[in-house]
Amino acid sequence: MKHRKKLGLAALAAGVTLIIALAVALSAGAGTTKRQAGYKIFFLPKTTTIPVFTQNSIGAKRAAKELGDTLTYNGPTAVTGPAQVPFINTAARQGYNAIVISTPDGNAVAPALKRAAAKGVKVVSYDADTRPDSRVIFVAPTANSLIGTSQVEAIGKQIGYKGDIAILSANVTSPNQNTWIKFMKIALKKPKYKNMKLVKIAYGNDEPTESAKQTQGLIQAYPNLKGIISPTTVGVQAAAQELQQEGKCGKIKLTGLGLPNDMRKYVKAGCAGNFALWNEQDLGYLATYVAHYVLAGKLTGKIGETFKAGHLGTYKVQVSDGNKPVVVLGPPLVFTPQNIDKYHF
Amino acid sequence: MTAKGLAGRLLGRWETLLVAGIVGVGIWSWTLSPFFLTRGNLLDLVTPYVFVGLMALGLTFVVIAGEIDISVASTLAVSVVCFAQIFAAGVNVWLAAVAGLAVATALGLANGLLVGILNLPSLAITLGTLAAYQGLAYVILGGEGVASFPTSYTNVGGGYIAGNQLPVALLILLGFALVLGLVLHVTRFGRYLFTIGANREAARFSGVPVGRVRVTVFALSGLMAGIAGVVYVGYFGSARADAATGSLLDVVTAVVLGGVDIFGGVGSMLGVLLALVLVAELRNGMQLANIGGPTQDIVIGVLLLAAIVAGNLLRAGRTSGFFPGPIRGLRRGVIGRQADEAVRPSNVESPESGR
Amino acid sequence: MNGVVRRLTPQKLAAAAFRLREIGIAAALGISVLFFAIRAPDFLSVSNWQGIAQNVAIVAVVAVGETMVILTRNIDLSVGSIVGLSAYLSAATFVHHHAAPVPVVALIAIAIGLGLGFVNGVLVAVARVPAIIATLATLGIYRGIDDEITGGKNITAYQLPDSFLKLASEKPAGLPALAWIAIGVCLVGAVTLRWAPWARDFYAIGSNPDAARFAGILVRRRVITAFAISGALAGLGGFLFAARFPTVDAVAAKNFELDVITAAVIGGVNVFGGVGTVLGVALGAVLVATIQDGFILLRISEFWRLFFNGFAIVVAVTIDALVTRRLQDALRRRRAEVRAARHREAQA
Repeated sequence: MKHRKKLGLAALAAGVTLIIALAVALSAGAGTTKRQAGYKIFFLPKTTTIPVFTQNSIGAKRAAKELGDTLTYNGPTAVTGPAQVPFINTAARQGYNAIVISTPDGNAVAPALKRAAAKGVKVVSYDADTRPDSRVIFVAPTANSLIGTSQVEAIGKQIGYKGDIAILSANVTSPNQNTWIKFMKIALKKPKYKNMKLVKIAYGNDEPTESAKQTQGLIQAYPNLKGIISPTTVGVQAAAQELQQEGKCGKIKLTGLGLPNDMRKYVKAGCAGNFALWNEQDLGYLATYVAHYVLAGKLTGKIGETFKAGHLGTYKVQVSDGNKPVVVLGPPLVFTPQNIDKYHF
Repeated sequence: MTAKGLAGRLLGRWETLLVAGIVGVGIWSWTLSPFFLTRGNLLDLVTPYVFVGLMALGLTFVVIAGEIDISVASTLAVSVVCFAQIFAAGVNVWLAAVAGLAVATALGLANGLLVGILNLPSLAITLGTLAAYQGLAYVILGGEGVASFPTSYTNVGGGYIAGNQLPVALLILLGFALVLGLVLHVTRFGRYLFTIGANREAARFSGVPVGRVRVTVFALSGLMAGIAGVVYVGYFGSARADAATGSLLDVVTAVVLGGVDIFGGVGSMLGVLLALVLVAELRNGMQLANIGGPTQDIVIGVLLLAAIVAGNLLRAGRTSGFFPGPIRGLRRGVIGRQADEAVRPSNVESPESGR
Repeated sequence: MNGVVRRLTPQKLAAAAFRLREIGIAAALGISVLFFAIRAPDFLSVSNWQGIAQNVAIVAVVAVGETMVILTRNIDLSVGSIVGLSAYLSAATFVHHHAAPVPVVALIAIAIGLGLGFVNGVLVAVARVPAIIATLATLGIYRGIDDEITGGKNITAYQLPDSFLKLASEKPAGLPALAWIAIGVCLVGAVTLRWAPWARDFYAIGSNPDAARFAGILVRRRVITAFAISGALAGLGGFLFAARFPTVDAVAAKNFELDVITAAVIGGVNVFGGVGTVLGVALGAVLVATIQDGFILLRISEFWRLFFNGFAIVVAVTIDALVTRRLQDALRRRRAEVRAARHREAQA
């Protein structure tokens, strides 16, 4: 018995020593990355399980093909920053030249992104920004202040500028959600909206089930609720479905950011009014072009630089809502019952 | 050959299997991507999973004693958010970290008191505390995150020495593996664990302070979860209530794959360490191969099952295997064993079957 | 003296303990309703209770299956993943075959769940993997398969036929259709556990597996059946889930197993095995949903809900263990007294 234990302990000690020795030996020296003809771009979404990001990747792959680059689209299933870190690390190790990332937690990925940058990888963020010191350029879907004002106006018009409203958001930590909510609150201070009151911000975590439950909770807990703003494609669709299921269409108005295909049925049934978004494929497309130009040295993040992004036209690097350097895709696209049949994504 | 001699052989064999597995996965990873054998990759292989390994080390103690603790990830979350809140309130980061460790140990202690003193089934209790502690983490910090930790701190989990290549976290893991290995295999406490895991009643009659040891082992598991939390925050530089969600599968896999008998009484720290390296290497390899996240989870799940089945086969080969397998498995299952002893203390005759 | 002792048989004591448990849950339910009715204005409204019934229904259906597994002294952690996978596959079937009759798709969902549950059963009963590990692994594996199949897309409500979505919006006689289905499942489950001999074996296996085997019960087969039923009902649950939350993606029903197990444990299903009734589980599910609804109405942060779930499990298990222990002690004392009395009689 004692003999076995001694053996086991000796083996443990030997194993640990070996690993340490190996580690020390390996750390003497630095690693290298290879450079190839076309660029290798790693497209890292918040998660691969939400359809919006799949739309981004379609545009991104198209752009890569036009530019002669290779693009890899992969990401975690959990919507957390730490879940993205292994992908950042391996992208850097595998010799990717650029990482295009949308993250739910800029702080968690910043150290990994900085380590990648130290290895020569260029980081471009899109859709949801990382910490500014860990990326070169941020590609924004639209100007954040515009979202704030247009969403408040959209719901205000539907409810006659009077009554209680609520916001159904995504994750509490989501940077663009919080920015948009901030601008919505600023917009609500205008005298035009003085009879409207924001009673609750609910969080659906970009999950259909949770968003539906949160909507149900809003309906139950706030009997005087007149309108809901849901600036997330998952949330607005779940809210519309929930309103329809509970028979509240028309009694509680709805607006938000949604995909026209998802919302068509509800808009026609009167469960949702005007809502907005942007072209998700174009966003991925633009972000890839930006990454390419950064790698080619044509873009450095200086304010005022211009470039042409394939079929989308010319763009300029600017300051947007106090954030810089940013490339903005364009103004929000508004969908109405009249024009919704024109769009198919 | 005595049973113990046979067991010794078996133990040796299992760890050899693990080493073979590590080498095999290494070769596979290398064929998938030439970047596998780069210095940076090899050194950083385990770093993102050090916190998983630390939890696994703590869980090993619990499982050897014949119990289970599935609340470790939730304990980590509470420890992390307490640490974050205290730090955000202005307290020195190191003191805050110690406070976090204290909280984690207290949570483990709570588990221990329920299981060790009140003799409640550890599976059901830690299932409850898994949810309760996770909920507590959200209550304490909400959905926000605390970042902006000083670099002196983040270097603990995320720092590198020796020319920016050797991860500090790796050294921490190895250090704890060594210390805990000593505790497990050399001290009297460790011996008690093996005895209790093999046969709790016999241990009690041999004079082992069963109640106290069981309480302590859960507190230890909690403490290790807290330490894992310290490393976690250091590595990611961000503290949130959903820290370590989804890591339970990897933790349990590392323990089971490490040759720790889920029924208790058998296991080694070296095995768990090797198993962790194997799991980390496997995940890294899949990452290099651009295998999607979901498929990675499937692979780890299958690995977990395979580890148990392999263990069963080896165990059946070792002992007589006279009774039909499933009955023994059912009877001596983690729940069953406790139920047996709670319901039928060995100094009283058995009750009638059925109720 | 003899008369008194003979009247209080062990069986009667056990039966009394069961009813005590269900009375306990009912009492807790009554107290909660009173509490929330006073504190929250709309708690007693019809629409609120319809909402509660909607939320309880799916949990109850899956909980009946989970109960069968726990009765045999096992556990099934994979039900959430089975529900998610079944929900997506049910919705996908409707997308590709828009005119498929609703009952047929329901049967497909049940069949899928049955298969997945069968795998669990084989892992536990034949490969002798402890249930906690086996279903923890299949939880990950089934969820992974779900993630792969959905491929980063989702199915949205507009793709599903109204005949299916009606299940979640119709309220025949004021009670949501889903609740009627759940009641039906509970009735079938209760009757089965009471009268079907193979189902009564679950109790025997859970109480004392060795004795069950010696009594000639085919333990392996029964355990596989229990897991298969749990899977089948989780499959049905997934089908209903897709009707209730028609936008189905890869994270549907994540962590759902916790709600199910909470309902079962609070409902008096003892994790030692061998104890539990469908009535208890149904009451447990209603109690959990009621308290959660009360939290929402009182605008208590939803973060407390998760804590409450876990806390309730710990409390329920503690009470059950202490009660069971008391019962066993009482049984032993009773039997000793009976023996002593008979011994005295024989000598007299």
